[in-house]
Amino acid sequence: MARVYQVPQHAFIWLITGSLLASIPQMMNGPVWIAAVVLFLQCWRVLVQRGRLRMPGRVLRISVLATAVGLTLYSYGTLFGPDAGITLLVCAFNLKLLEMNKMRDAYVVIVLNYFVLATVLIVRQDFLISLYVFVVLFFVTAALIGINQPEANIRARSQLRYAAALVAQAFPLMIFLFVVVPRVAPLWEMKSDQKKAKTGMSDSMAPGEVAELSRSAELAFRVQFIGEAAPKPERYWRGLTYSWYDGRRWSQALPQNISASDVVAYPSRFKPRWYSDLERSAAGPQYQYRIILEPTSREWLYAMTTPFIEQNNIGVVSDYRLISASPVTDSLSYTVKSYTRMPRGIDAPRWEKEFNLRLPAEGNPRSRAQAREWRAQAGSDDQYIARVMRMFRQQKFFYTLTPPPLGPDQVDDFLFRTRAGFCEHYASSFAVMMRAAGIPARIVAGYQGGEENPLGTHLLVRQYDAHAWVEVWLPESGWVEMDPTAMVAPERIESGLEQALQSQGSEFASAFNEAIGVSRLPILKQLASAMDYIEFNWASIVLGYDGMTQTELLKKWLGEVSPLRIALLIAAGIGIIGLFFAVLLLWRGRRPSLEWWQKEYWRLHSALRKRGVEIPDHPAPGRLVELVSAQAPAAAEALKQWRECYEGVAYRANSANLNGMNKTNSFDKQSLKRFRRIALRNIS
Amino acid sequence: MPKLSAVQQLYRRWLRRRIPPATTVTLNQRRIFILPTGYGMLFLLIAAMLFIGGINYENNLLLTFSFFLMSLFNVAILHTFRNLSGVTLSAGGMRAGFSGRHGALEVLVSAGPRRSHTSLWLQWPGSPAREMSVKAGEEQRTWLDIELIHRGRVFAERIRIESRYPLGLLRAWSLVDLDHWCLAWPTPIESAECPASGGDDDEGLHNSLAGNDDFDGLRSYIPGDSLRAINWKSLAAERGLQTKVFTDPAEGRRWLEWDRLAGMEPEMRLSSLCWWVLSLDEANQPYGLRLPDQEVAPAIGLDHKQQTLRLLALFGVQ
Amino acid sequence: MQDVIRQSITAVSSVVLGKEEQIRLAVSCLLARGHLLIEDLPGMGKTTLAHALARVFSLDYRRVQFTSDMLPADILGVSIFNPQTREFEPKDGPVFTQLLLADEINRATPKTQGALLEAMEERQVTLDGLTRALPDPFFVVATQNPVTQSGTFPLPESQLDRFLMRLSLGYPSAEMELKLLAGSDRRQLAVNLKPVASGEQLQHAMAEVRKVRASRDLIDYIQRLLAYSRNGGLFVAGLSPRAGIGLLNASRAWALTGGRDYVIPEDVQVVLGPVAEHRLQSLAGGAAATATQKLLESVPVVRRQ
Repeated sequence: MARVYQVPQHAFIWLITGSLLASIPQMMNGPVWIAAVVLFLQCWRVLVQRGRLRMPGRVLRISVLATAVGLTLYSYGTLFGPDAGITLLVCAFNLKLLEMNKMRDAYVVIVLNYFVLATVLIVRQDFLISLYVFVVLFFVTAALIGINQPEANIRARSQLRYAAALVAQAFPLMIFLFVVVPRVAPLWEMKSDQKKAKTGMSDSMAPGEVAELSRSAELAFRVQFIGEAAPKPERYWRGLTYSWYDGRRWSQALPQNISASDVVAYPSRFKPRWYSDLERSAAGPQYQYRIILEPTSREWLYAMTTPFIEQNNIGVVSDYRLISASPVTDSLSYTVKSYTRMPRGIDAPRWEKEFNLRLPAEGNPRSRAQAREWRAQAGSDDQYIARVMRMFRQQKFFYTLTPPPLGPDQVDDFLFRTRAGFCEHYASSFAVMMRAAGIPARIVAGYQGGEENPLGTHLLVRQYDAHAWVEVWLPESGWVEMDPTAMVAPERIESGLEQALQSQGSEFASAFNEAIGVSRLPILKQLASAMDYIEFNWASIVLGYDGMTQTELLKKWLGEVSPLRIALLIAAGIGIIGLFFAVLLLWRGRRPSLEWWQKEYWRLHSALRKRGVEIPDHPAPGRLVELVSAQAPAAAEALKQWRECYEGVAYRANSANLNGMNKTNSFDKQSLKRFRRIALRNIS
Repeated sequence: MPKLSAVQQLYRRWLRRRIPPATTVTLNQRRIFILPTGYGMLFLLIAAMLFIGGINYENNLLLTFSFFLMSLFNVAILHTFRNLSGVTLSAGGMRAGFSGRHGALEVLVSAGPRRSHTSLWLQWPGSPAREMSVKAGEEQRTWLDIELIHRGRVFAERIRIESRYPLGLLRAWSLVDLDHWCLAWPTPIESAECPASGGDDDEGLHNSLAGNDDFDGLRSYIPGDSLRAINWKSLAAERGLQTKVFTDPAEGRRWLEWDRLAGMEPEMRLSSLCWWVLSLDEANQPYGLRLPDQEVAPAIGLDHKQQTLRLLALFGVQ
Repeated sequence: MQDVIRQSITAVSSVVLGKEEQIRLAVSCLLARGHLLIEDLPGMGKTTLAHALARVFSLDYRRVQFTSDMLPADILGVSIFNPQTREFEPKDGPVFTQLLLADEINRATPKTQGALLEAMEERQVTLDGLTRALPDPFFVVATQNPVTQSGTFPLPESQLDRFLMRLSLGYPSAEMELKLLAGSDRRQLAVNLKPVASGEQLQHAMAEVRKVRASRDLIDYIQRLLAYSRNGGLFVAGLSPRAGIGLLNASRAWALTGGRDYVIPEDVQVVLGPVAEHRLQSLAGGAAATATQKLLESVPVVRRQ
C-alpha cells in the first residue's frame, strides 16, 4: 500500500476548520441530510488524523458518494442546476478530505475549498455573509501555507498571522480590479432556481391583499436622497397602476388595440414623442434619489411621481412609473429624478380616459346611485371629490389590518355597512365612486413613507409600508393623486403604519407588532439600525456597483473610455500595486541600517572619489586619512580631526563591552560633519 | 560527460552567462526564475471560472472573490520570490572518495540578517532533494552526495534550489554553480607486490616493518645507555637494570614508487599505489610516495594519508 | 606600563637589528598569551630573538633542539625510580619553564611534536598519571624550517592552530647587514641583555591587554573577516572560532604596544597576516599571504549596507 501523506498537524487544524466553515452555509440552506453527511465525513477525518481510524477504502468512499448522489436526486429531482450542483460539490469536497493520500490531494482539497466558499456567495450576498466568507478565507489560506511547510515543530498560529498578511496584501489589487475590470455582458443565460417568487406587490389587487403584505417586515427597497430629501407627505413610491376592475379585483390592463411598446419608453436608447413632451413640461420641485431594490422577481420598479431616468434596461411607462426590462432577480440600484408636483397628462389620449371610466355592468348599485346624486349636487368635479373625501373623514370609518369580510357588492358593503378596512378598501371604493361619477380614475399600488435610518441618510421601505391610492384625471390639471386613506388615518401618511394602528386602538398595534416581530428593546433597535446602515452601504456601494457606475467613474478618470485605455489602466494599476508591495517586502528589512558615523564615512569616501582623490575601495578610516592627506596636504588638519572624531565614536566610545550603550552624541555628529565639510572644501 | 544536444549546450551557455560559477552566490532577481506550479494553474483556472460565473450571474461578490484569488496569486509571486531571494549559497567542505563510489560536498545555506527562508529544497539533478529552513542571520549546512565518475577533480553540476513557500502556487528556483568539486581518489586495486623501496626489507610487507620509535624489547643495561631508556619498572621489580630497545627510526623509510610499477597502465599504477597507501596506513606503517613529478616524505597519520591520496588523485590532472 | 612595553621593544631591537615590526608582533603575541611560531631558514636570528625576549621580560628560558630521534619524554620529562626511597620521582623535562624555545620543531616526529603541542594547549603535563601545571606565564617560541627542506615533518594544520602567530624574520636590509657584521656576536648580546620588565610587570601588562576596548564596529569587522574567510571562496577551510578569538586578542595586544587602549581596524589588519596565514590554505593554490591580502581587500572596514 502506498504511504499515506500525513498533513502536518499545524496545517490540519486550519484545513479542517476551513472546510467545515465553508460547508456550514450549505448545511443550513440545503436539505437536512447534507449536514449529516458533512459532519460524518469531518469527524472521520479528525479521527484519522488522531490515529484512531484508518482512511476509508475505495468501496466505502464510492458508496458514500453514491449515497450523496442519490439523496441529491431525491431532494432536487436533478443533478444539474446550481442548487443540486452546490450540494454535490460540498459532499464531494468533504469526501475528498478522506482521500488525502498525497500532498497533491491536500492541494486539491484547498483549492476546492476556495471554490465551495465562493458558491456561498451565489445564494446570499449580504454584508454579514460576505464577512463570514472573508473570515473563512483566512483559515483556508493558513492551511495552504501550512501544507507548504513540512516541518513538524511549527506553531499553527504563525500561519494564521502570515495568512492575514497575505490576505491583507491581496486586498488593494482586489479592490482595484473590482473597480476597473469591465463588467462584460453575460456570456449565456443563467437560470437560477434559487429566485423564487418573493413577497411583494403583485400585478393585481383584491381587498385584504395589501393588508396581508403588511404583516411582513421584510425590506422592499432602500432610498438615498441625493441632495434635498422629499418631505414625508410626498413619499409615495409608485409601482403599478390598476385600471381594470371586475367588481372585486383590480388589475393591470391596457385596451386591446394598444400594445405595451406604445406606452413604454427606454430613454437611454430612444425617447418617443410623449416622453420628450413630458420632459419638456417638467417643472416645480424636483428630487433626485437612488433606490436599491431588493430582488422581487418582477419587472416593476418604484419611484415617486413623474420619474425621469436614463439607465440601461430601465424604462418609463406612460402612466408615470418605471419598469425593468427583465425581472429583478438580484438587488438592483437605480437613480431617478422626480418632479413631484408637475402637471401631467392634461392631453391624455382619449382611450386612456375612456378606459379608466369603465365599471362592471352591474353591481354596487347604492354606491353608483350615491355618486350620481352627489355629482349632480356638486357644481364641479373638484367639489364632488371634496364631498367624497369628506365622507371618509366625517363618517365613522376604521383603519384596520383585519377588516371584516365583504359581500358580493364589495363597495356598497364597505361604504354603507362595515366601514372598516385597509388602504385598498378606501382606494378601491374611492375609484369606483369617481368612475361612477364620470371622472377617470385608477388605483396606484406601491409603498408609502419609509423609516429613516438614524445613522444614515437613507430610508428603509419595508413590505408593511405597502400602500394603495388613487389617481384621477381632471381636465385642467391632468392626472392627480388622491389618497382617501389619509382622510381616515392621517397618521399613516405622517408617521407610518405602526403609529396609525396605535391611534386606532392598542390591540391592533400589539397584534401588528407580534405579526412582524419587531423588537421593542431600544438597544436591539439601535443595533439593528447600525447593521442596516452597513447593509445599506454594502448594497449601494458594493452590490450596486454596475457597468453604468463603472463607466461614469472611468470616464472621470480617463476622460474617454476605450478598451485600450482600460487595458492600460489595469496594467498600470497592477504594476503600481505590485511595485508598492515589492518595495515594501523586498527593500525593507534587507539589511540592518547603518549607524550615522558609518554613513558619514561613506559620504566622505564617495565625495573624495568624486573629487578624483585616489583611494582604495574601503580603507580603514585612519588609512583613508593618511592617503588623502598625502595627496591633498591642505586638508590634512581637518582630516586629522575627522579621524580622531571618527575613531573616538566608532572605536573608542562605542564599546561592545558596554552592553547596548550606544547613545548618539549630537556634538560628535555635528563635528564629524563639519570636519568633513572643511576637508572637502580644502580639496576642491 | 554525456554528449549534449545543441539546445542543451546553448541553454548551458546562457545559464553560465546569467549565473556565472562562484563559490558564494547570493540569490537575487537576476538569478531567480519563477513560474506557476500545476496547482497555481488550477488556482487560476478556478479564479477564471468564478469570473465567468460572476459575469453570468451578474454577481459582484463572485467577481470580487475571483479578483481576490487573482490578487492572492499576485501577492504570492512576491512572497515566493522573497522566500528565495537573499539566500546565500556557499561551497563548503568536501569529503573525497574513491573514484567509482560517492563523495560528498557541503553546501552552506545562509540567510540575511533580517529575513528567514522557509522550506527550501536543494538537490543535484537526478538525486533526492534535501529540505531545509534558514532563520534570519543563521546558516544551515548540508552534505550532498556526488557520484565520482572519474579520478581527479569531479565538478558538481549546478545545484537546484527551489522554494514554493508560502502558497505552493508558484515555484521559484535557481540553478547555482558553486564551482565546487570533489576529489576522487583512484579506485584502490589490490596488488601482491609492494612497489616500495627502503625500509628493512624491500620484499614487501611480509616482514613486519618497524616504526621509528616502536618498542622492540629489553636488554641488559650497558654503561653509556641513555638514562631515559632505562626501564625503571624492571628495576623496581628487582630484575636488574634493563634498557628499553627501540628499532632504529632514522633509516629504512618506505617509499612507494611509481617507477616500480613500470609496464602498467598509468591508472592501474595509481590504483595499485592507492591500495598500498591504504594497506600501509591500516598496518600503521610509515610510508612515502614518489611520483614522477612530486613526492611526499615518509610519515604516518591521517593528515599524511590525505596528502598522499590527494597527490594520487591529482596526478596528471590539470 | 606603556613605557615598559616600549622599552622592552627597544631593548630587543638593539639585539635583533632592523626588525621592529616583527619584534613588536612577537611582544604582542606574548602579551596576548599566545605561542609564537617563527619560520625561517637557519641563521636568521630566530634563536636570538627568542632569547632576547626571555631576557627582557625576565623569564626562565630553556632551549630544546628538536631532532628526529627525540621522544616525548625528552620534552615532558620522565619518572625515575629512586632505589633509596623505592619510589618514582618525577624528573621534569625542559617544558617546565616560562619560555621554551623549541628549535626546529619540524625535525621531530609527529608524536613528539604532538606531546609538546598538547602541553602548549593544556598548559599542564601528565606524567605517569600525575598531572602537573606548567609555570605561569608559559610561552613556546617554536622555530621551523621552511617545509620544503628535506628530512622534516611539517606540522599539520590542526597543530598550527595552536600557535597564535607565525612570523618570518627574513633577510636583514643591506644597512643592517653591515651593522650586524661590524657588531659583536648577537647571541652573546642577547644573553647579556638586562631585564626591562619584572615578572610582575609582565603579568600586569597581560592583564592590561584584556582591558583594551574593542568596539561593536570593530568586532563586527572581525566577524565579517571570519565569515568571508569561510564563505568567500579564498581558502580551503575558513578561520576557526579559536583563530577569531586569537585575532581579537592579538589586535588588542598590538593596540596596547602602540600605546592605545582601544582597537582600530588598522591593528586588526596588521596582525591578521601573522595570526591567520599559517592556519589557512589558499584555495587557488598560491601563497596564503596573497589570499589573506585579498581577504583584507574584499571586506569593507566600515559596514557598507
